[in-house]
Amino acid sequence: MRDVDYLRPETVAEASALLAELGEGGRLIAGGTALLLALRQRMVAPTHLVSLARVGGLRGITYDPRDGLRIGALTTHSALARSAVVRAHYPVLADMAGRLADPQVRNQGTLGGNLCYADPTTDPPTCLAALDARLVLGSARGDRSLPVTEFLVDYFTTALHPDEILTGIRLPPPRFDLGHHARFHRTAAEHRPLINLTLLARRDGDTVAEARLVVGATTVVPTRVAAAEAFLAGRAVTAAVAREAADIVADAVEPLSDLRGTAAFRRDMLRVMARRSIERLMPPGMEGREVA
Amino acid sequence: MTTEARLDGAASTIGRPTPPLNAREKLTGRALYAADFKMPGMLHLKVLRSPHAHARIVSVDTAAARALPGVHAVLCGEDTPDRLTGVHRKQHRILATSKVRFVGEEVVAVAAIDEETARDALDLVRVAYEPLPLVRSMDEALRPGAAEVHENTGNLSIEYNVERGDVDAAFAGAALVHEATYETTPQYPGYLEPMATVAWVDGDGRLVVRTSTQSVFLQRNRYADALGLPVSAVRVIQATVGGAFGGKVVEECNSLICAWMAHRLGRPVSFVNSRLDDFLGARSSPAERITLRMGVDAEGHIIAKEVRILADCGAYEGLATHVLQVSLVRSDNMHRHLRNVRSNGRLAFTNHPPRGAVRGFGGPQAAFALNSHMTEMAQALGIDSVDFMKRNAVRAGDTSVHGFELGSAGLAECFDQVSEAIGWAAKRERPRDRGTKRRGIGFAGAIHVSGNREMGNWDGSIVTARVTADGRVTLSTGESDMGQGAYTMLAQCCASELGIPVSRVTVLPTDTDLSPYGHGSIASRVTILAGNAAIRAGRAIRGRLLALASEVLGVPEGDLTIAGGEIYATSTSPNRRLTFGELSRLHLYRHGGEELRVTATYDPPTFLAMSRPDQYGNVAPGYSFAAQAVEVEVDTETGQVEILATVVSDDCGRALNPLAVHGQTCGAAAMGIGWALYEEMKFEDCRLLNGNLADYTMPTAGSLPHIRSEIVESMEPNGPYGAKGASETAMLPGAAAIANAVHDAVGVRIRELPITPEKILAGLRARASADAAPGASHA
Repeated sequence: MRDVDYLRPETVAEASALLAELGEGGRLIAGGTALLLALRQRMVAPTHLVSLARVGGLRGITYDPRDGLRIGALTTHSALARSAVVRAHYPVLADMAGRLADPQVRNQGTLGGNLCYADPTTDPPTCLAALDARLVLGSARGDRSLPVTEFLVDYFTTALHPDEILTGIRLPPPRFDLGHHARFHRTAAEHRPLINLTLLARRDGDTVAEARLVVGATTVVPTRVAAAEAFLAGRAVTAAVAREAADIVADAVEPLSDLRGTAAFRRDMLRVMARRSIERLMPPGMEGREVA
Repeated sequence: MTTEARLDGAASTIGRPTPPLNAREKLTGRALYAADFKMPGMLHLKVLRSPHAHARIVSVDTAAARALPGVHAVLCGEDTPDRLTGVHRKQHRILATSKVRFVGEEVVAVAAIDEETARDALDLVRVAYEPLPLVRSMDEALRPGAAEVHENTGNLSIEYNVERGDVDAAFAGAALVHEATYETTPQYPGYLEPMATVAWVDGDGRLVVRTSTQSVFLQRNRYADALGLPVSAVRVIQATVGGAFGGKVVEECNSLICAWMAHRLGRPVSFVNSRLDDFLGARSSPAERITLRMGVDAEGHIIAKEVRILADCGAYEGLATHVLQVSLVRSDNMHRHLRNVRSNGRLAFTNHPPRGAVRGFGGPQAAFALNSHMTEMAQALGIDSVDFMKRNAVRAGDTSVHGFELGSAGLAECFDQVSEAIGWAAKRERPRDRGTKRRGIGFAGAIHVSGNREMGNWDGSIVTARVTADGRVTLSTGESDMGQGAYTMLAQCCASELGIPVSRVTVLPTDTDLSPYGHGSIASRVTILAGNAAIRAGRAIRGRLLALASEVLGVPEGDLTIAGGEIYATSTSPNRRLTFGELSRLHLYRHGGEELRVTATYDPPTFLAMSRPDQYGNVAPGYSFAAQAVEVEVDTETGQVEILATVVSDDCGRALNPLAVHGQTCGAAAMGIGWALYEEMKFEDCRLLNGNLADYTMPTAGSLPHIRSEIVESMEPNGPYGAKGASETAMLPGAAAIANAVHDAVGVRIRELPITPEKILAGLRARASADAAPGASHA
């Protein structure tokens, strides 16, 4: 990689001012797990790296029953996975973070960095979309917030303005009592999910009172499948219900088609994943279970 | 004063797990790789690669690049020597001139004060190309009227025809004849260390090249040939090699370009491949389409075999001709009853990147086809597949259809070991899985050479041994250690003869100025050839030491004991002990300062079959075998294959160092699994689309099962202490064993690698629709 100047501002306003001043030549660095690879391959060639390491207020995880969860943008995936409040109130998020990528990336990579890099083939966006996450964007001009699905725009593209910094992630108090984040790797040697799916549900006795189902990695921005959520609401999960819901999911999503997997294969696998996720979350009663 | 520690009688380490001599330097990060070397005035080299698979070079404008501060030289094809290079067919120029033949071909080289400046300069070079019609596949290549990659070749690199016995009569009399076609995909050698070289011209004008290589001498000859220099004007030194797997013999271009640039500029030059450079520049294994037709008699003996192979050479011919020859005929030598063979192999030039030597050297392709085929035949015959493979396995004392004389052959024993370890007897009786996930077991076996007489009429190896003034033994060899443990093996052989621990032996890195000649670490030749030479060197040293001690002690040699680095009289005056160091110093004084030094050579009793039109003959002093059993679980909804268990058994004659054999066997099996299930070089119009380790997915620890490695010790009569080449054979059977296990699990026969979820699902659907068709019945 080329030599760069390494800047270490101490406030969001200072970092924002640097970004505004540097324009295309400036690039924020958090954990650097993705950025350093891009730098070495010259996919990006900034003249300055603006480190967030010394900026205050970007770390820590706090939970309040009324306001929900606040996650500092510099929180590493492993810190998220270990957090007692996350594990207690958003176990699906902790579980997702704890199985993300590999230990090196989990220990060094940050949640904010993951979101700002906007690589569609990662797990946090899907899970955060299902949890109704809003992202807080700070700058010298003040703060604003966006839902994660509006923050993510396209491949490696976000709604961040050039002088903005993702400072935190906010989650409303949990509404669901069951959750599972599933990731599909085409083969065991592939590291990036071909498809991921977060399913959340609130149970009322044997039936699903409310469901949330978001598909990612196989669409550029995570896709919420409202039709499947509506179908599941008020139903008890049987093998037939799971199958029908999975068909709805598979038909609703327009999968990407690329080197890593064709649209047809992704749709087939999405169908299998959706059914397995539903059955895993609320195992069908024995009477409804098919004998294969 | 020199000092020596008293040694307790050191037992031989032969057959005992022995940690590699260089493990410490590697683990502590002190091993010096070619990329670690820095020299005063050293320039950094980068190359501009062709973005076109086939195009005429119209013009090259280097003015802006040359004007960039820090840039020392920007050179293109016209600047390179006009002599062409290559293993047999000379058709490759150091940088491309007039036209490019593959995406990634080296067109312009820049030397600059640092790597980033060199990269910046490449961005400023303007090359105008005029695209030419592509030769996209080997089928297209051989079609009449196809564009030519090389003029007047018809895109045919080589064609082999071999015929023995009466093939047609044998087929006519066969109880069962089975024909099918299989396809394999190229595999990137996937070493951890991308190619790297540092080269310079010394004060006398000699070119010195320090590089990551499997063979310093073959590389020296290659550089001398390419640059028009006498070999004595070129010195090649081996740096620590971070894996090679066939990719660092004589086909890679990193070291050749670096050597030429250093020679041309008279300055030290360093060239370190990025991983992308390496993906684009490395020779992957040739893709092959293999059609097998085999006939068996009523006893289940293979009596007739016809092999037709079409292989993709890519844009330049290197070792792919040899690879094809191996794919074509070597596996025939596994069948003890076979006397009737007809083979035709054709190698086609295409605009794919050049293909060449990769671990297994044509064996994996053949083993995939053969073992898939034999399993189908066993099924058709109603014979257990292991039984069928064993029934046809060659045995010690056999001479095979192509003239291989098998002094040892543990193939049947390998099958026994793996079938026992996988629990075949019990598992073959279990009810078939009917659920979503279904288990299956598959087997495969393979043959490989230990050495191969094919270069000149010499396949020997030389080891020089010296006793230092402090009583250590220093060995020199022309063969390389590339991580496989060759030097540890040489130290073990020599130490064992001298009764000293391996820690008292130093094996020097190869250096064409200092080491005896050797072809290098190819064809699994080092253990059987250099191992024998090391034993001979040890014995010669021992003889010299005993003679000297006899004279000094006044005791007949027969009455002397040599142990623990000392020599003493067994029956009389046991108090007087002479250390190796004392004897070495004595030798110096008595011989005018000449150290105690021996040179031992071993040239095996083999035959240059390549010299005969029918290529018949015993090419290797030993033949290694392996078998593998794999138990898989196939998810019928996703097509995913999980390997639940695998056992690989390697007949290495004798495991001189079981630690190394197990390590190499597990690594080879991992590479075989990767080729079968995970790795796929994806091309679009001959352009590699996934030249990085995120998208070209080699197996990771998490994607591999526990690999159980077993050893068969068949005691090769020609081998050092019975040993022959270990573990390269273990690369061969994996793909077929997995394909056979998948078939056993779900009834889907995959004949085209890799075995992907998509192909398995397609196979399952085809079965389901066949079952649903009226009148359908299971085969």
